[in-house]
Amino acid sequence: MHDVKRRYVIPGDKIAEGNFRPLMNVIKSGNSLVATRIGIAETGRDGVKVIPLSGVYIPRVNDLVIGKIVDHSSLSWEVDINSCFSAHLPAQDVFGRDFSPARDDMTKHFAIGDMITARIMAFDRTRDPMLTVQDRDLGKVPRGELLKISATRVPRLIGKRGAMIQTIEQATQTRVLIGQNGIVVVTGRNPEGINLSVRAIQMVEEEAHTANLTQRIKVLLNVPDTPQQEITHAPIGNGDAKSSMGEAEEELEVEGEK
Amino acid sequence: MSASRRSPVIVEHLRKQQMWDALSKGKRLDGRDFDDQRPLEIELDVIKKANGSARVKLGHSEVIAGVKVSTGEPFEGLENKGALIVSAEVLPIASPHAEPGPPDEEVVELARVVDRGVRESEMIDLEQLVLVPGKVVYTVFVDCSIVNTDGNLFDATSYAVVAALLSAKLPVLRMEGEKVVDTGETRDMPITTIPVSITAARIGDHVLIDQGPEEEACMDARITITTNEEGFCAIQKGFTGSFTVEQLKKAAQSARVKGEEVRARLQELTAR
Amino acid sequence: MTQTRNLIDENGKRTDGRTADELREVKITVGTIRNADGSAFIEFGKNKIVAAVYGPREVHPKHMAQPDRCVLRCRYHMSPFSTDTRKNPAPSRREVEISKVMREALEPALILEDYPRAAIDVYVEVLQSDGGSRCAGITAASVALADAGINMRDLVSACAAGKVDEQIVLDINDTEDKEGGADMPVAYMPRLEQVTLLQLDGKLSQEQFNECIDKAISGCKIVYEIQKQALMQKYFGNETELKEEAAVQ
Repeated sequence: MHDVKRRYVIPGDKIAEGNFRPLMNVIKSGNSLVATRIGIAETGRDGVKVIPLSGVYIPRVNDLVIGKIVDHSSLSWEVDINSCFSAHLPAQDVFGRDFSPARDDMTKHFAIGDMITARIMAFDRTRDPMLTVQDRDLGKVPRGELLKISATRVPRLIGKRGAMIQTIEQATQTRVLIGQNGIVVVTGRNPEGINLSVRAIQMVEEEAHTANLTQRIKVLLNVPDTPQQEITHAPIGNGDAKSSMGEAEEELEVEGEK
Repeated sequence: MSASRRSPVIVEHLRKQQMWDALSKGKRLDGRDFDDQRPLEIELDVIKKANGSARVKLGHSEVIAGVKVSTGEPFEGLENKGALIVSAEVLPIASPHAEPGPPDEEVVELARVVDRGVRESEMIDLEQLVLVPGKVVYTVFVDCSIVNTDGNLFDATSYAVVAALLSAKLPVLRMEGEKVVDTGETRDMPITTIPVSITAARIGDHVLIDQGPEEEACMDARITITTNEEGFCAIQKGFTGSFTVEQLKKAAQSARVKGEEVRARLQELTAR
Repeated sequence: MTQTRNLIDENGKRTDGRTADELREVKITVGTIRNADGSAFIEFGKNKIVAAVYGPREVHPKHMAQPDRCVLRCRYHMSPFSTDTRKNPAPSRREVEISKVMREALEPALILEDYPRAAIDVYVEVLQSDGGSRCAGITAASVALADAGINMRDLVSACAAGKVDEQIVLDINDTEDKEGGADMPVAYMPRLEQVTLLQLDGKLSQEQFNECIDKAISGCKIVYEIQKQALMQKYFGNETELKEEAAVQ
C-alpha cells in the first residue's frame, strides 16, 4: 500500500519539507510546503495537496452545476450558481444560432426562479462563467426537494465512483441530483424516503472528514454493511464529475489495489 | 425619497410550489402552523458595560440591544419627562445583502416602529426620570445591533429592546448645584407595562405569524401589531400589498393572544 | 500620555490583578454568524467582538473590481452600547483609521491573486470594548477568514504591549490604555515571523521599545495557539489526529 501521509491542517501549517510538488491549496515557502486552507493535507508521491473543508464554490470548466435563474437581458439569462460570480446562459444556447430577441420569447423557456442543471462551458480569470444546457439531462429542474451543502463536501457525497450517493439513492428509493456547486435536488415518490435521503445527505456534509462515515450512513439507512459491488453505470450527471476529494480517493484506490 | 426596489432574495419556483402546497394544507415549509412562532431565545445582561442588554434569537434572526443611560436636555414640549431614544442598525455582518452605511428606509422604519411600541405603551414611566424639570433629565438610549437576518426582524428587535429595558439597572443620579452626580447606587428601570409586538405576513389568502426568510421574500403584505395588557399601542402595515379588513381584525386578535404568551415569558425571565 | 497615578501595586499586581506578563483570558468561537461565509466571536478580557467574512463574492459597483486580484474591504465598527459613554453609530475618525490598519494587517496573509475580479469583505463589530479591541478584532478576523476558506499564507495573530508605571507589560486593559505611559498594538504572522501591524501611542526609550515589541510578539504567539485550537475544534472536533487507514472509504 503506497504511503500517503494525511493530516488535519489550518492555513500556515507546514505539511512537508523538500522537493515535493505543490498540487492544490498548498504553497512552497522556502523549503517548506505550507497549507493555505483548513482541511486534510495529503503528502503523496506526486505532490502535496490540501483537501479543503470550507470555502465558496469557485467555478471550473466542465463542472455540472445547479443554478437559479435570477434575471435576463435581451441576450442571456443571469444564473445564480451559489458562487463568487454570477453565471450566464446565452439565449443562443437554447434557441440556436438564429435566435432573435424580437421573435423568440426567453421567458417561455426559463423564468426567474427556475432551477436548471447546466454545465460550465467557459470560465477564466477575465470573465464570468458561461453555461450550456445542450446535453442529455440538462435543463430545467421541474420538481424536487432543494438542499444547499458546502461545495467542498460534494466529492464526499458522491463518493468513490458514485458509491456513497448510490448507497443513499438505493436505500431511500430517491434520485439525487448533485451540482458541483453544492446545490442538491432530491426527487422520489415516497416522502419518507425523501426525508431520509435528506438526512443522510446532511450527515455526510457534517461528517465528511471523519472516519467510518460510510458505516454510519449505512446504519442510518438500515443497510447491511457489505462490500460495494463494482458500479457499472455512473449516476446521471455525476459520473464524470472530477473533483478534489473524489480524485484523491480514486488515485489511492488504484495504488491500493496491489 | 422612497423608491420601489427589487427584493435581493429570489425564491426558487421549486420552493414556492412546495410553500403553496403546504399552505393549502394549513402548514408552512418548516412544519409550523400559521399561528406558531419559531423558537425564541432570550439572554440577558450580555453587555456588562451597558446599563442593560439582551440578546434575542427568533429562528436565526439575532439582535443585540444595549441600554446606555446618560443625562441631557428634555425633548421640546416634554419638559417633565426623561428622554428615550431607540435606534437600530442591520450590521453588514448580518447578511450578504446588508451594506455598511447609514440605515436605509427599511431599517429606519423598523427602529421607529419598535420605538413607537415602547413609547406609546408608556412602558417606561418617563416622569420618574427627571432631575431638573425643563433642564436636566435622564436620557435612555436603546441601540440595537442586528447581527444575523432570518426573517421578521421587527419582532426580534422589539423583544430585544423590551428585554434589555426590563432588566436594565438605572444609575441613581442627583444634582449637586449645577453638576450631575452619580450616587453609585442603582435602581430598576421604572416599568409600567410590557409591550409585545407580533408581526404577520400575508401570502395569497393566508396570514402567517413570524414569517421566515423565504416567506418574507414571497409575502404580499406585512402587519406589525404591538399590544400590552390593556390593548393595542402601535400598529404598522408594511410592504406593497394590501389586507382585507377581516384579515386585519383576525390578525389583531392573534396578536393579543400570542402577545400574552411572549409577555409571560419576558415577565418570568426578568422577574418584572 | 503622562501617568498620574500608580497602576501597579507593591505586589506587582495590575489594576485587574494580573502580573506584568499575563494575558487576559481569551476565548474564540468559530462560525457564530450563520449567514456569513466565515465568522468568529472573540472574548479578549472584557472585549466582546464578532468578525464576519463574506467572500470571495462579486464586487458592487462593478468598476471597483480589479482584473488580476481580489479587492479586500475591511470595516471596524463599534456598537453604540460598546463603550462607557454611548457612542454615536456613525463612523468616527478612529474607526476609519482602525479599519485601514486592520486591512493592512490582514492583506499580507491573504493570497488575493487567487480571486481576480472578486471582493472579500471583512466586518469587525465591537459589542463591548475594553482596551486592545483592534488586536482582538484582527485576531477574530483572521479566524473568520480561515473559516471562510480564503487562501492564506498564514494566520494573523495580534496582541498589544505597553508601558505602565515605567514597566513594560503585556496586553494592556482599558484603564492602562487610558492612564498608562504607552500602548503598542502588534499584529504578527506566526509562521512567517512577519509583523503586519505596528502602532505606538506614548513614549518609549530604545530599550523599552525592544522589550515592548518582544513582549507583544510573545503575546501574539499565545493568541495564535488559541486561534488554532478554536479552528481545530470546529472543524475536527475532538479528533486531532487523522487515522490513516480510515480517512477514505
